[in-house]
Amino acid sequence: MLKGIILAGLLIAAWALVQGMVFRLRPPHKAFASMVAWYAPYVPAYVLLYLLTPPHLGLLSERFARAGHALGFLNGLALLILLFLTGVLFYYHADRSITVRLLIVLARAPQQRLSLDQLQTVCGVDVLMQDRLESMALNRFLVLRDGCYHLAPKGRLAGLGGTMARRLLRLKAL
Amino acid sequence: MKGLTLAAAAFVLLVLGSALALRVYRGNKEFKVFLSAFAGAVLGYAVAFPLTPPDLGVLPAGWLEPAAPVDFANGLLVLALVFHGFWCFAYFACVSPSMGVMIELRERGERGISAEEALAMHSHEQPMNLIFQRRLPKLVQGGYVREEAGVYRLLPRGGRIAALGAFLKRLINSEVPLAGSRTC
Repeated sequence: MLKGIILAGLLIAAWALVQGMVFRLRPPHKAFASMVAWYAPYVPAYVLLYLLTPPHLGLLSERFARAGHALGFLNGLALLILLFLTGVLFYYHADRSITVRLLIVLARAPQQRLSLDQLQTVCGVDVLMQDRLESMALNRFLVLRDGCYHLAPKGRLAGLGGTMARRLLRLKAL
Repeated sequence: MKGLTLAAAAFVLLVLGSALALRVYRGNKEFKVFLSAFAGAVLGYAVAFPLTPPDLGVLPAGWLEPAAPVDFANGLLVLALVFHGFWCFAYFACVSPSMGVMIELRERGERGISAEEALAMHSHEQPMNLIFQRRLPKLVQGGYVREEAGVYRLLPRGGRIAALGAFLKRLINSEVPLAGSRTC
């Protein structure tokens, strides 16, 4: 099992490095699509590496290299996917968090002070909503028709998930 | 496989436990509910692991990990990663303005929403719009920001989070607008 874990960890570290460079050198128009595109080759790479390398990877003791082949392979593959999704969530934490935006705006303000009006002007709901609507349209959750946004099939599915989650989890929605 | 099976059971209990707790929780710090549920799930997992047989009475021999520490750590790692995903999904589904728009559109059926109407969902002509109404008091309570006569001042604790956030944004180069409209 450890072999799959190590391979998944190494491949995700490699993907994070490459993706970081992609973001720095050529910021993509669609972040998620870029992450998926750059991640995709790592899945066959994992399969190949798992099949071609010895169970001990040249460094594990016998004790850690005795797990079933299928179990180790599938566990590693699941970890590779989970770690990728965690990486994607990390990106969205850093990119989209409204709270972090507020703090950064305050940190950059003269004397690190802003009135509510100033905060709302610089980082307010109108700026944010326009940004989110455009982003959802760009990512095909919404379609703009006759000056109004409508749900695209992807958005309909997401909306259904959100409705169900809000019924199950009673967080105070906006 | 024992670790993964126990982690799956712990996660199901975590979801049910946090859903129930959120129904009775009246405070404004829901993250504490999630973290408590996660702590409970980890504790339950750590207690159940040494007390149960390696095959849990149901697992086939080919699906057993011979090294118990690897099995335990693997299950714990998967539990933590899945919990993180669940936590993010819960907040996105319940709090995100984007999700609010999609849910509103589902309720409207064929009728679309204009940018002005989407904006009005969160403004309500109050001095503080709803997006700020939820977040600013939490930042004040948490000691990140201080309010002095209507002016918000960043405190050292908030400054550290801002510095970390700015560093992460630089790391992913997110200060370059993706959609061409981001101004902060």
